[in-house]
Amino acid sequence: MNCRKATRRISHSQRRDAPTDREWRHRNQEQWRGKDKVQVKPPEEDERHKQPEKDIVPRGTCQTMCPAHELQVRETQNRLHRFEMLGGTERNRRPMGDPLRAVKEYSRPAAGKDSTNPKELRPPAVLRKTVRYLIDGIAASSSLHPWTEVYNFVFDRLRGVKQDMIIQRVTGSDCVAILEQTVRFLIYASYRLCGEPLRLYDPRINDTHLQENLSWLLDCYATGTELNTNQEEFQALGLLYNLGSSRATQHVMDLPERLRRSPAIRLALSINRAFLERNPVRLLRLAQRLNFLQCCALHRHLVPCRRDLLLIFSHGYSNRNCRFPLDRLAQLMSLDTSLAAQLCQAYGLEVNQGNHVLFSKAAFTEPEQGKLHCKLYHNIVAEKQKDLTVASIIHGYV
Amino acid sequence: MAHITINQYLQQVYEAIDNHEGSFCAELLSFKHPHVANPRLQLPSPEDKCQMVLEPPYDEMVAAHLRCIYAVANHDFVEAYKFQTLVVQSFLRAFQSHKEENWALPVMFAVTLDLRIFANNAEQQLQKKGKGQPGEMLEKAAEQLMSCFRVCASDNRAGIEDSKKWGMMFLSNQLFKIYFKINKLHLCKPLIRAIDSSNLKNDYSPAQKVTYKYYVGRKAMFDSDFKPAEEFLSFAFHHCHRSSQKNKRMILIYLLPVKMLLGHMPTHQLLKKYDLMQFADVTKAVSEGNLLLLNEALSKHETFFIRCGIFLILEKLKIITYRNLFKKVYLLLRTHQLPLDAFLVSLRMMEVEDVDIDEVQCILANLIYMGHIKGYISHQHQKLVVSKQNPFPPLSSIS
Repeated sequence: MNCRKATRRISHSQRRDAPTDREWRHRNQEQWRGKDKVQVKPPEEDERHKQPEKDIVPRGTCQTMCPAHELQVRETQNRLHRFEMLGGTERNRRPMGDPLRAVKEYSRPAAGKDSTNPKELRPPAVLRKTVRYLIDGIAASSSLHPWTEVYNFVFDRLRGVKQDMIIQRVTGSDCVAILEQTVRFLIYASYRLCGEPLRLYDPRINDTHLQENLSWLLDCYATGTELNTNQEEFQALGLLYNLGSSRATQHVMDLPERLRRSPAIRLALSINRAFLERNPVRLLRLAQRLNFLQCCALHRHLVPCRRDLLLIFSHGYSNRNCRFPLDRLAQLMSLDTSLAAQLCQAYGLEVNQGNHVLFSKAAFTEPEQGKLHCKLYHNIVAEKQKDLTVASIIHGYV
Repeated sequence: MAHITINQYLQQVYEAIDNHEGSFCAELLSFKHPHVANPRLQLPSPEDKCQMVLEPPYDEMVAAHLRCIYAVANHDFVEAYKFQTLVVQSFLRAFQSHKEENWALPVMFAVTLDLRIFANNAEQQLQKKGKGQPGEMLEKAAEQLMSCFRVCASDNRAGIEDSKKWGMMFLSNQLFKIYFKINKLHLCKPLIRAIDSSNLKNDYSPAQKVTYKYYVGRKAMFDSDFKPAEEFLSFAFHHCHRSSQKNKRMILIYLLPVKMLLGHMPTHQLLKKYDLMQFADVTKAVSEGNLLLLNEALSKHETFFIRCGIFLILEKLKIITYRNLFKKVYLLLRTHQLPLDAFLVSLRMMEVEDVDIDEVQCILANLIYMGHIKGYISHQHQKLVVSKQNPFPPLSSIS
C-alpha cells in the first residue's frame, strides 16, 4: 500500500473548471438529491421507480368502440369498412358511419402522432365490450361474407384493442380475458383460412400476431396473482401450436406440477413427446383425443408429421420386393385411401395397381413448394368441428 | 487496511487511477474486497468528499460505490442495485474517454460483476415483498452490460495489446448468466457471433474460456446441436480448474446427457465422484435398453432434471434405449429375420403404454432411418430383416 507512487499531483480544481463537467455534476446532484427526498418516505412506498411512470400512464375516457373523432374523420375520408356503415347509406356517395358498429382502427405508431390522448383510448371495460362485439357481431355472424373479409376486419380491430391495452398498460383479468379470446380467434383462423390466397390471408402474419398474443398471455399467467381458470387450456394450446419447440416445451416443463398433471397439458405433452421421438403413428393417434380448437392449434404440424411418416417408412420399408398396403397406410395417417395415395405421389412414392405403396428411400423427394395443399388433408380437424359455432369456439364454450 | 479512513481510501483510489493500476483500482471498487465491510466507509452522502479528491466522472463513480456500500450494509439491495448502476454508468463514461488504453478492464470486470449480483439480490428482495416483475431487474442490468459490451466490441483503433476487446468475453459470460436465468437464450446469439468473429477468441484467459464454452455448449444443447454441444462442454470440463469441483459438476450435468446421446455412458465412479447419482439409473436403463427403468428414473428425479433444464434431452435417450432393447431381442433370437411380434412383446414387457404392432413398425422405421439399425421391414412377412454385417452399428459411429 505504502509503495504506491505519489507522483504527479494534478490540480483538480483546474481540471474541474471545465464547464461541461460542472454542469453535468450539477444535474447529477439534483438527481441524487431528488432521491434523498423520497428516501424520507416510509418504506411501504418503495415503488419510487415506478411511481413517476404510473402518473404518465394514460387512462382512456372513450366510451364507444370507436372514438368520435376517428369516426368523423374516416367518414369524411370515405374510409369506413362496409361492416361499419349505417344501414341504407352503403350506396351513398359518402356512406355514413354507424356509431354502434364502428370500431377503432389499428394505426401504426408514428413520429409526432399522439397516441395517448385519453379521448382516443378505450378503458378496459369498453375494450372488453368491443371484443365481444367483434366476436359475436362480426366473426360469428352468419350474414357477413366472405369470412376472409370478416377475418381481416376482426384481425385489424383486435390489433387496435391490443394497442389500447399496451398504451394504458392494462393488466389482470381484463387483459387475460381479451388475450384469451384473441388467441382463440387467431388459432381458429389459422385453420379455417388455411390455403386462402396470400392477399386475403397471410399465415406468416397471423402466426406473428398469434405468438405475440400468446406469449403476453402466458406472461400474464406467470405474473398474475389471481386464479386463471383457463390457464390449462391455453398452456396446452401454446404447446400444441409450437410443437417440438424447445422453448415452448421448457416453458411447460417449468409449470407447477398441479398444472402439468392436468389432462389437457398431459395430452399435449404426450403429443409433443411423440413429435420429438419422431413417432407420427402415435402422434396422430393421440391427436384423435384432442378437441376442435386444440386440433386447430396442432393443424399446421399435420403435414410435416405425415411427411415424417412417409420419410421414415421410405427408409424402413425400402426393399424392392416389399409392398405396403395403401389402406393400412391411410389408416395410420388418418386419411382416406385416395388422399393417402395422392400424398404418397406428392412425395415421389409409387402406388401400384393393387393399391400397394412401394416405399424406397431413393424415391422419396420433397414436393415443390406450394404444390402440396394442406387444406386437402384437413379431415382430422374438420371432423371435430361437428356443430360447434364460431362463437362457441372463440368464447370457449366447448 | 481494513479500517482506513474515507480520506485514505479516496487517496488510494486517486492514486490507483492516476497510475493506471487497473487491478488495484478494481479491488477498491469491488465487493469482494474487505473494504466494503469497513464501517468508516459506510456513508450516506459521500459526494462532497469524493469531489474534493477525484475528478469527474471518477468522483461520481466512487461516491456511488460508497453509497452502494452503505445500502448493502443496510441490506437494501434494491438501493444497492440502483447505485451500482450509477457506478457502471460513470465508469463507462471514463472508460470511453480512455483512448487506446485498456488498463481499466479489471475495474469493468469488478463493477459489472457486482451489478449482476445486486440485480439478482434486488430481484429476490422485491419478489419476497411480492413486488416487481420477475426478470425485470436482471433485464435492466443486461442493458447496462450490453452498453459496456458495445464499447469494448467497437474498439477497433487500438492495437491488440491495448484493445478493450479483451473485455468482450467476460461481459458475454455475465450476459449469458442473465439470459439463461431469465430464459431468453435467443439473445445469446449476437454475442456468440461477435466473439466468434473476433481474432482474440482463442487468447482469452482459461477461466473465461471455460465459462464461455460452458454456456455456448448449453445453448447448442438447447438448440439440439449435440455434436458441437459435446465439443464445447468437453472443452469446458477438461480445462476447468481441478480445484473447482462445483463447476466441474455443473458442466457434467449437461455434458453427461449429450455424451449419452452420442453413445458414451459415464462410469459409476465418475457419477459418484461428482455426486451425480441421479444419473446412475438413467445410465443403467439406457445401456440395458430398460425402458421401464428409464421412465422410473426420469420420474423419480424429475424435479432435479427439470430444474437443470435437461429433462427433454434425457427423454431423447429413449430412442437409444429402444435401439439397445431391440438389439437384445436380436441377440436372443439369433436370426436375421426377426418377427415384429418379438419387438412388441419386448415393449409390452417394458410396460409401454398401449403400444401395438403399428407403433412397433414406426419405431423400427425411425431407427432404420436414423441409422441405428441396418435392415428393412417386410410388411407382408411381418418381419424385420437385418443386415448380416453389423446390424446395430455402434452409437458413436452415428452422427
